[in-house]
Amino acid sequence: MFRLTNNLKNLTLSIEELSANYTNLQTVRWQRKPRWLPVAKSKVFRIPKKPETPQEDNLELQRLFNNYRTQIKSLRRHFFYKHHIQFLASEDPEQQRIIFEKDLDRCNKINDKWNAEQKVLREKRAQENLEVELEFARKRIEVENIKREEHKQKTEEYVKKVKEESKEFITAENIDKAIEIALNNPVDYNYALTPSGEKIFGRENNEFEVKEKISVKQ
Amino acid sequence: MLSPASGTGQFFTKSVKIIRFVRQGCTNRPFFHIVVTEKRRDQFMPVIEQLGTYDPMPNQHNEKLVSLNYERIRHWIGNGATVSQPVEQLFGMSGFFPIHPTSYLAAWRNRRVLQEEALKEAEDKSKDKTV
Repeated sequence: MFRLTNNLKNLTLSIEELSANYTNLQTVRWQRKPRWLPVAKSKVFRIPKKPETPQEDNLELQRLFNNYRTQIKSLRRHFFYKHHIQFLASEDPEQQRIIFEKDLDRCNKINDKWNAEQKVLREKRAQENLEVELEFARKRIEVENIKREEHKQKTEEYVKKVKEESKEFITAENIDKAIEIALNNPVDYNYALTPSGEKIFGRENNEFEVKEKISVKQ
Repeated sequence: MLSPASGTGQFFTKSVKIIRFVRQGCTNRPFFHIVVTEKRRDQFMPVIEQLGTYDPMPNQHNEKLVSLNYERIRHWIGNGATVSQPVEQLFGMSGFFPIHPTSYLAAWRNRRVLQEEALKEAEDKSKDKTV
């Protein structure tokens, strides 16, 4: 369903001519069934039940409506005398300006007072926040110092340990001695183990003769 | 050129004005603007001024939210705008107008339904006991 938007020509802000392109069309989404379609077949013989109101209720309603109308009438009259254009006081610009300035002055005073109150509160809060932050920073420094101390200790221990170990290192001075010791004490790692864990050293004590290798290529 | 939902502020001085609902929202989700407009304009034509909103679907706190611009409503009623019945009911509920008689009627009907249901329940209980 579409609707032309400039059908209210003398009221809309921009007065445009009706154009053939669809710039003035606006989609309407809430009309499901056009008015000219007949009643649905399933609803043709449906008679909606009318709500029943007892006689006493009707009388009471009549009374209420009479009261209501009277009250509304007086309300409307009140609003009329208070807000209708013809009763609005003609505005004297000078008077209006004086009223405005007075009001502004009053508002400024209130504002200044509030600002002063807020300033005290704000400064107090800022001071407290600063204290808290300083305390936090101090604690952090303490923790950091402890951490560094621990790290220093660890590194010192490590250095000590390495120094201890470095006494046995082979250097240019004692290399000949080390070579001599190594040559005098040959170590053979080429041993076999029995199931009970005994080590059997030596290469020539094989029970079985070593078969000569037969080349596959031949 | 779409006109704003808050109103164009343009009207004929001597035309009849009315404060009424405009259904915004979409299918299965009603939402109403309370507007002042010329009576002869149809629902979705540009309005003079929006005076409030009404959300008939209860929110998560089971509230139906209404907002009303009392200052402007007073002004428009003072300048001769009439008020449609549903809006009158709403004004009655908000304490701006006296309670509308149809609100009382609805309350009576609801109470009657509740009473009938209570009676039915009582009867069912007594039947169960006798059986």
